[in-house]
Amino acid sequence: MRRGPGLAYASPSLLWLTFFFIAPLLIIVLYSFLTPGQRGGVDLPFTLNAYRAIANPSFGKVVVGTIAVALAATFFTLLIALPCGYYMARSSKQTLLLLLVIIPFWTNFLIRIYAWIAILGNEGFLNDLLRWLGLAEESVRFLYNRAAVTLVLVYTYLPYAILPLFSTIDKFDFSLLEAARDLGATKFMAIRKVLLPNIRAGIFTAFLFTFIPIFGAYAVPLLVGGTNSYMLGNLIADELTKSRNWPLASAISLVITLVTTIGVMLLLRFNGTHILEKKHEKA
Amino acid sequence: MKRKYFTAIAAACVLVLLGSCSGSKDRLYLYNWIYYIPEDVIEDFQKESGIRVVVDSYASNEEMYNKLLAGGKGYDIVVPSGDYVSIMIAGGMLQRLDMGKIPNYANLDASALNRIRFDTGNRFSIPFMMGAAGVSVNKTKVSGYEHSWNIFERNDLNGRMTMLDDMREILGAALKYLGYSVNDSDPAHLEEARLVVEEWKPNLVKFDAESFARGFAGGEFWVVQGYAENVYIEYEPSRYSEIDFFFPKEGMPMYMDSFCILKDAENVEAAYKFINFMLRPDIAARVSDYLMLPSPNVPARALMTVTPNYQFEDLAKGEFKEDLGAQTLLLYNEVWRRIRVGN
Repeated sequence: MRRGPGLAYASPSLLWLTFFFIAPLLIIVLYSFLTPGQRGGVDLPFTLNAYRAIANPSFGKVVVGTIAVALAATFFTLLIALPCGYYMARSSKQTLLLLLVIIPFWTNFLIRIYAWIAILGNEGFLNDLLRWLGLAEESVRFLYNRAAVTLVLVYTYLPYAILPLFSTIDKFDFSLLEAARDLGATKFMAIRKVLLPNIRAGIFTAFLFTFIPIFGAYAVPLLVGGTNSYMLGNLIADELTKSRNWPLASAISLVITLVTTIGVMLLLRFNGTHILEKKHEKA
Repeated sequence: MKRKYFTAIAAACVLVLLGSCSGSKDRLYLYNWIYYIPEDVIEDFQKESGIRVVVDSYASNEEMYNKLLAGGKGYDIVVPSGDYVSIMIAGGMLQRLDMGKIPNYANLDASALNRIRFDTGNRFSIPFMMGAAGVSVNKTKVSGYEHSWNIFERNDLNGRMTMLDDMREILGAALKYLGYSVNDSDPAHLEEARLVVEEWKPNLVKFDAESFARGFAGGEFWVVQGYAENVYIEYEPSRYSEIDFFFPKEGMPMYMDSFCILKDAENVEAAYKFINFMLRPDIAARVSDYLMLPSPNVPARALMTVTPNYQFEDLAKGEFKEDLGAQTLLLYNEVWRRIRVGN
């Protein structure tokens, strides 16, 4: 059997992945089972202490809070992204619309967060407007709470949801919707029973592209969050730097990696079979 | 044809890389706080000594320390704060200094040096700048307060106040407020301090060490705990009178940033020259002018042209943050985590 050039072509990315993804991951696994060094770093002996510390209820609180924010932000992102993707797919100005979605990436991510601070702050544009309209006397506090964190996260990850949705909807055969209407479906029913099942793969990708990075968010809760918007990303950073407890930081990141991997695999199983089956049919 | 171009470009890249490696003899690798030494001071040192200074910067002791601990190599001088000086001495990361090569050490204020516990006698560290986080109040918005940590108890200022996102600064403030040391290791005292912070917390918008000064200058926050230099830099000099910066009467945690030479430094002679240069009165005065901070360098004080944000004497009620040791650090971490995460 001839092996073909596949392996040779794949080897650079294979090596890259091994060195820069698998090796660091193994280091994290190793560190999570070690003892914190006296002055940071790690020391022998091997221990399960870091994992015992995670069982502490205060961690559970951060995990639950993080999942809540991540789910809410992902939900709203998809809710906005779906009609956007649909409109883009049907529009005659696709290139222009695509460009508009991508333009925010040209500006640094932190600057865009600070722009939100300028809009939502006590002395921000929105409060100025409310006062000018006479709708508020005291400034309304929009920032520095979980709602603000969710809003800015939705804004940040919206393009990541729109792009996969757009590319899936774009491939959808819209005459199917007309057929559904001809057969007596209402507009809403046609969308629910014909469009949505057909773009499941896109929704699934959009979900992963937004939920996973939001789950590990660090900068957004740091900048627009308040005293109670602490998320897992912040916890890991603090354990690593301020508390100098590297094993605990490693253990938390590992648990996150495991939970997301298992979540993705479960989703793939229930949701993705449909996608995989379709591929088989074609083959 | 295309391949030829590629080879040429690759060769050029290799040459550039090699070029940047050679001649490291007349170089000094300085790993310093961001915006700590003005550009023109570094340039003057390069002109006088013929040594090229390569500067890399960090924003926190933790960042610097963890990078070095994780194997960051190639630096000659670092500028840790006191608690990290002792951590790095204990970790064997620093060189014992030859004071004969730093005659300008004599310029430093003995009253400040005598209070140092993190490296008694300065065998490994040469003090550079000292200061403390204090409280800034927007006088146009807030009145009727005393210069005390109890300003954070005022719930009429709810949503207009921030404190630093920094365990030692917050717990240090609470410990001082209760009359204890900022390095207290008694669990009962720390529990009291936690309760004090829990009382402050509902009045705070957030724990913030990144953007509080911008928010303060923009009128968003009216009372902020933080470093004076961060606050004043956001203001036009004509509006300085709006700021009331003070150190609470109960006292506060204080820092001393010091030059240290790393054990694996390759340019030790250049490092000594640089440290001695930085302690020269005219240079120390320029740095203090730039930062608008009082100088621990006695002859430099007369040469300053800018009025500092506070006086050296104001720091008398401060207490240096020392390393807590692994056991006490765990205790602090636990208290701080409870504050941050909620109970």
